[in-house]
Amino acid sequence: MKYEVITKEDLPPFVNGLLSEIEVVGVKRKDGKFYFDRIESYDELCLDYDVTLIPPKKYLLPPNETLLKFSLGEAIQVEPFIDAAPRIILGVHPYDIKAIELMDAVFSDSNPDANYMERRRNTVIVGVDCRNPSPNAFCPSMGTATTETGFDLMLTDIGEQYVVAIGSEKGEELLKKHARTRQATEADLAQRKAVREEALAKYKLSIKAAVEEIPELLERNYDHPLWEELAAKCLSCGSCTMVCPTCVCFDVQDDVELNLTGGWRFRQWDSCMLQGFAKVATGENFREDRTSRLRHRYFRKGNYMLKRYGKLGCVGCGRCIGACLAEIASPVEAYNRLKEGS
Amino acid sequence: MKPRLAFFDFTGCEGCQLEVLNFEQELLDIISAADIVNFREAMTERSDDYDIAFIDGAITTERDVARIKEIRERAKILVAIGACACIGGINCLKNFYPMEEVLRIVYGESAHYYDTIPARPVDAVVPVDYYVQGCPMTQSEFVKVVKALLTGKKPEIPNYPVCVECKMAGNICVFEKGETCVGPVTRAGCNALCVTNGRTCWGCRGLVDDPNTDSEKEILAKYNLTPEEIIAKFRMFLGYSEVAK
Ligand code: SF4
Ligand code: SF4
Repeated sequence: MKYEVITKEDLPPFVNGLLSEIEVVGVKRKDGKFYFDRIESYDELCLDYDVTLIPPKKYLLPPNETLLKFSLGEAIQVEPFIDAAPRIILGVHPYDIKAIELMDAVFSDSNPDANYMERRRNTVIVGVDCRNPSPNAFCPSMGTATTETGFDLMLTDIGEQYVVAIGSEKGEELLKKHARTRQATEADLAQRKAVREEALAKYKLSIKAAVEEIPELLERNYDHPLWEELAAKCLSCGSCTMVCPTCVCFDVQDDVELNLTGGWRFRQWDSCMLQGFAKVATGENFREDRTSRLRHRYFRKGNYMLKRYGKLGCVGCGRCIGACLAEIASPVEAYNRLKEGS
Repeated sequence: MKPRLAFFDFTGCEGCQLEVLNFEQELLDIISAADIVNFREAMTERSDDYDIAFIDGAITTERDVARIKEIRERAKILVAIGACACIGGINCLKNFYPMEEVLRIVYGESAHYYDTIPARPVDAVVPVDYYVQGCPMTQSEFVKVVKALLTGKKPEIPNYPVCVECKMAGNICVFEKGETCVGPVTRAGCNALCVTNGRTCWGCRGLVDDPNTDSEKEILAKYNLTPEEIIAKFRMFLGYSEVAK
């Protein structure tokens, strides 16, 4: 991998240069929390944050998206609809990049998802290493505190300057075109390593089992009383999955114009924690009780995804821990409970 | 033949009928797809020959009981619109007082001219086919139900809590701001309107089908609400349901 260095003074012109060419979304601050939103200038951007409310998945899989439009009449006409305007997502943390890699695996599998794939092709990812992790994060346990893949550019704050790792040709091109940089030296890279290690020491939570152990740990405990105990408190509110960067389920519905001349098909985020998720047309619901839904979520994160895609379905961002009012959504607590009991 | 629509108001502020009039393009589309034959807030003509009856307001007198039964008999389809008709709504606040006291508070010396019974939603008296929840009713859901009636399809009404829509909207959770909310057990469909606009959810769209109200109560207690405050919170709109008793 190639590494460049950009000074902090040179960063604003770089970002503003990008803005002159393409839509840029970045992290903003609101009431002490952080969220991804479109930025108009460098000044709105925040590059030192712990975690955003909603992961950047919202730009690849919008909460609500039109898939096709149709007109009714003599001959029914159907047109696919894809909104995939080019965009840079700026300031993505490594765990969220890992989650996007997982989304890529899901949406390119067997029957590739046209809307996702086109949007993904038009998306440039500029990452930033996380220096001050959220108190709920456990990325080191999941191996997601840093990443060497999945980005076009990756920034690491080493004091007065950023080391920029170049992950793609597209990234390199943008950097060359809009930024004044110099090649990174051994000393810069050593500093980058030190900064990353310093951040590692700041994580508060960790899973007592090794990542490789988790799938088997779950399998052995399919009937563990833990699931029922947690489910008794579960609101089936879906918050844990809505905020999760690796949760990608959606529901598809058709709607018509009130004058019945046409309509559209859309999809919106769905969640396995919601009561109607596994309900089929006959009215049968395959996961009607809270316990089976709650257990499913943990198994999907810690077992099913690994089997199917070779990657665990959790990147340790800790958003679910913060979002669950009932305080039962923590993978750390669940896996540690099972580990202790086994 | 176009379906014939009729609107009837019971005990409430009639804000839901106003919401129907507040439609612009949609109202024109509805009028071209159906005939409106009874709508006190908008027209003087009245007809007792209708297919679909829209009801707003709660049932709060014996006269209401007789009248809603009559409407039910005439209508092929009956749609409850708004919190009062769908769940009883704020009218049910009075149910926690003796009826004589309620009459006295409202009508003073003239109390004996009036009768009143504990407030109840329409479906406590007659079967309801469709619900348009909300206070006032959620306009987009009204359109959804009308489309369903026109196409013969079942309307997709959310059976998940407001939390889902809050997260989709990117809201900071009310509880994180040190306030409390009944959104975790309240039926979504409003796009988390109140929370998105800086308020909290009071449950005007009613409970989801299988609400975990015990857990919600525990959470409210954890956030320092007393048992009385918790009950008061549920009574605002959900006075008719078990959770507020
Ligand atoms: S399960 Fe929780 S910690 Fe894991 S990726 Fe999803 S939100 Fe983050
Ligand atoms: S685990 Fe928590 S956040 Fe997830 S659905 Fe249940 S109550 Fe909601």
